[in-house]
Amino acid sequence: MSNRWIGFLLALALGAALGLYYGWVLNPVEFVDTAPASLRQDYKADFVLLVAEAYQYEGSLELAARRLALLGSADPVQLATDGLVFATRTGYADADLAAIRALQLDLQAWLPAASPGTP
Amino acid sequence: MNDRRGPWYLLTGLFLGLLAGVLYAWLVAPVEYTDTPPASLRADFKDQYRTLIALAYAAGGDLNRANARLIYLGDPDPLAALVAQADRQAADPASAADVEALRRLAQALGAELASPTPALSPSPTAGQASPTPTASPSLTPPLPSPTTPLTTTLTPAASSSPPGPSRTSAPTRTPTLTPTPFATFTPLPSRTPTATPGAPFVLDERLFVCDPALNGPLLQIQVYDAANQPVPGVEALIAWDGGQERFYTGLKPELGLGYADYALTPGLIYRLQVGAGGQSLNDLAAAECESPGGQRYWGVWQLTYLQP
Repeated sequence: MSNRWIGFLLALALGAALGLYYGWVLNPVEFVDTAPASLRQDYKADFVLLVAEAYQYEGSLELAARRLALLGSADPVQLATDGLVFATRTGYADADLAAIRALQLDLQAWLPAASPGTP
Repeated sequence: MNDRRGPWYLLTGLFLGLLAGVLYAWLVAPVEYTDTPPASLRADFKDQYRTLIALAYAAGGDLNRANARLIYLGDPDPLAALVAQADRQAADPASAADVEALRRLAQALGAELASPTPALSPSPTAGQASPTPTASPSLTPPLPSPTTPLTTTLTPAASSSPPGPSRTSAPTRTPTLTPTPFATFTPLPSRTPTATPGAPFVLDERLFVCDPALNGPLLQIQVYDAANQPVPGVEALIAWDGGQERFYTGLKPELGLGYADYALTPGLIYRLQVGAGGQSLNDLAAAECESPGGQRYWGVWQLTYLQP
């Protein structure tokens, strides 16, 4: 009787291993509608640069902050800083670094308008 | 006592294990994609990304970089995607600035693809603005270089064909005018750029061209704004007794961003309106030409619309 149980458990383990292999390797779940928050770090940094360049053109900090918020739940200043750190580390051109830095500084100085009812 | 139940317990275990493994891999702990490329973004996020690319181009004018960023999005036809997005957002007044930026980028890309200039494909130089560094490959994943030449493959959209009756069943019509053989397209006069967004397009020129190489009967339109720039994404509404169809400029950028064409069906009388509130043109119909040898063939209407 114990041999049957051992055999059963071994078969169970083998089946589980095959199932995991199928579900993780052969036919994994595909995420095709991702959000900017899941972008690879270098694409995120380029996204921050995009926002900085758009800010140069439009001049709206509120828009820039909303766009940066797509990268995650962190503070827009932190998101800009993260982008600046990566851009500096990977050798972005001076003009690009200046654009991101300008956005970062303006965001630091920017205070969103208080909504009614807030102290 | 002999056990004659056979190895079914093994198969049962295997099956249950398989099921448990797949469920765990798909539901409990699925593969997480944390380092995704822009091509995997949801459609609305791609739209926002595209808008940012267009705004960045408006700020810096770096067409190579804009093209490289568009390639990141993985659109089969980045130019068509730009035009389509501008078209979708054109109805929203709050998006006017974004639409303008998208159209300007589409225009620049279309012009570059129509006549590529080596000057726009520079090799990396020191200090050149670039989102992808030329050093530290270990830190930099293999992104497309922004200096990649503009090699986006455009797949021109098929010419709009009327869903109406078959061309072969149409009777032969005698032309109501005597067109000049091989009439040329008259260049537009230069105009002082006074962009007036939203002004309806008016018919500036109407030509009937007899050229068998043009494969008539065909209606060709060219649409320009007040700054004499071709305008992509303009909707043209063509109607006939019992039907109507819409077609758009810019879907054949190799022929001009403001270009659109429509295959006419002989025997039908059309009414054409270009752009919202644009001037209507009535009694448009396919007409025949005659070669010096007496052969008859269909001619082509060429219309030019301007925005005052």
